[in-house]
Amino acid sequence: MRNNNPNISLVKGCGWVKEKECGAGKDRKWQYADPHGLYAQLLKDSILPYPIENFGRFNQDSRLTCLSIALALYDAGVAYSKGNKQDIGILGTSPDGALNANLAYFKDYVDAGRKLGRGNLFIYTLPSSPLAEAAINFGLQGPLLYMRYLEKPQENLLAQAELMIKNKETRAILAVIFDTEETRCYYLSGVKTR
Amino acid sequence: MPGMRPLIVAYDLITAYGEGILPCWEGILADRSSIGKVERFPTQSFQSANAATVAGLNYLGKDSLAIQMLAPLLKSNKALIPDDAGLVLATTTGEIDILEKQVLEGAGDVAQSKLKFLLEKVKALTGITGESIVISSACASSSAAIGFAAGLIRSGKRDCLLVVAVDAVTEFVFSGFSSLMALDRDKAKPFDKNRTGLSLGEGAGFVLLMSEKRAKKEARKVMGEVAGWAVAGDANHMTGPSRDGSGLRLAIQKAIKKAGMSGDDIGGISSHGTGTVYNDSMEMKAYKSIFEDKPIPLYSIKGALGHTMGAAGLIETIIALKALQEKIIPQTVGLKDIDPEAEGWVSSGKRKLEKSAILLNNAGFGGVNAALVLRQ
Repeated sequence: MRNNNPNISLVKGCGWVKEKECGAGKDRKWQYADPHGLYAQLLKDSILPYPIENFGRFNQDSRLTCLSIALALYDAGVAYSKGNKQDIGILGTSPDGALNANLAYFKDYVDAGRKLGRGNLFIYTLPSSPLAEAAINFGLQGPLLYMRYLEKPQENLLAQAELMIKNKETRAILAVIFDTEETRCYYLSGVKTR
Repeated sequence: MPGMRPLIVAYDLITAYGEGILPCWEGILADRSSIGKVERFPTQSFQSANAATVAGLNYLGKDSLAIQMLAPLLKSNKALIPDDAGLVLATTTGEIDILEKQVLEGAGDVAQSKLKFLLEKVKALTGITGESIVISSACASSSAAIGFAAGLIRSGKRDCLLVVAVDAVTEFVFSGFSSLMALDRDKAKPFDKNRTGLSLGEGAGFVLLMSEKRAKKEARKVMGEVAGWAVAGDANHMTGPSRDGSGLRLAIQKAIKKAGMSGDDIGGISSHGTGTVYNDSMEMKAYKSIFEDKPIPLYSIKGALGHTMGAAGLIETIIALKALQEKIIPQTVGLKDIDPEAEGWVSSGKRKLEKSAILLNNAGFGGVNAALVLRQ
């Protein structure tokens, strides 16, 4: 991609996922029936070089995070693998945090008689959990933070990502922005990617 | 940048020991744990009945537990906090009891449990007018938040930031940790060879960070410096730490480098030390890979205060600043039989702190690790 945010000079790639459409940068777009269809399509097109382990048990936010990151890394031309870990951070922001996951966990726990919670629902009750699933899948060892600014959350997130790179806190950052209709991920780096 | 060293110029906290650092510090040095039986919800179905809870809070009452802890703390310290400070709030689940109350009793609105609303309340309590943000990075949230604030000050973007941290023991959180089989049936015993898990705790606190330049101008008392900081991931597993400690090692190496220091400058380690088998073992591997055959006096406060989750790093920062001031490495409460892996590093008795820097670490779900270097 080429930077479509004039204030952020380090953006080197972008991926976005909507309900039935996704894209990488300006040029590539895919259409699909649901996020599972998109997952299969991205594997088929080698945008995803290997299957995402446990993708089927991920919650929706984790799926969208991973898919948008895969598209952003593809757009930036960044190669990755689980075995070859890289100093790339992930910052994420969303209006609701883990609200849906919190409700899913606690309603299930209450419905089951308040005796035992389900661990596989509990692990998503942190707003940073979708970012962590992505870090595990893509082998990313940089800073991992959910950040919710009260004012201008998206602009501030990107500015913070840029500052952390300039301060040499990490080599590159994936900034994941959830909105009601779209999950968008920017890849920022001080290094030329291609 | 000259004059931009990030200094801590004020702090306060509330824990299961009570209000302020003194009862907390004295409780730890007296080898007295604040972990006890949880009374605020039924625990018979869970792995443990114990946690470190703050006395006098009203669970599922008018205000959330987080606000009940934060309101008196911030009101009594309001005079110390400049209106133009930036606000950084660190938490994992914030006011999750609002959601619980709605699901259990049908009262209230679950949307009010969003972290954004807690941030707005904290902003109102402090009177801060500057930029405000929530940072959540599992159980490394508040050490990551302190590092975030230090980064803004050192780069000259801000000259004053208030970092506030809070997390509470609720049925939601307790049942979740129990479902992961993470709890010790009795009380956490970090670095003990018979350790079986963590004990949950709750608390709240704040640290006020200021640039050296502004602190001098305002003649502030300096409690310590955040000399180095870093966050790094394991990229390994959602709930278990990397077995070899590689993510924590990376965070520590970066933090020490940022401080312009070497391992020889570190006089003590405030460990994450949850008391789970894998966490404590992972930490020891990371420390040994960095400090090799030179054991550094290491302690965990989680047998005393429980694991206060998103607030842990900030509470441990305040305790580490007290340790730097008193030149004492506190004992690890709950420790009886030292795990051979931690032999020579950890102790059930207090020790003298010989140097002027403490390394502080936290780790959390998703394999996130945060490290701070605190210097007097």
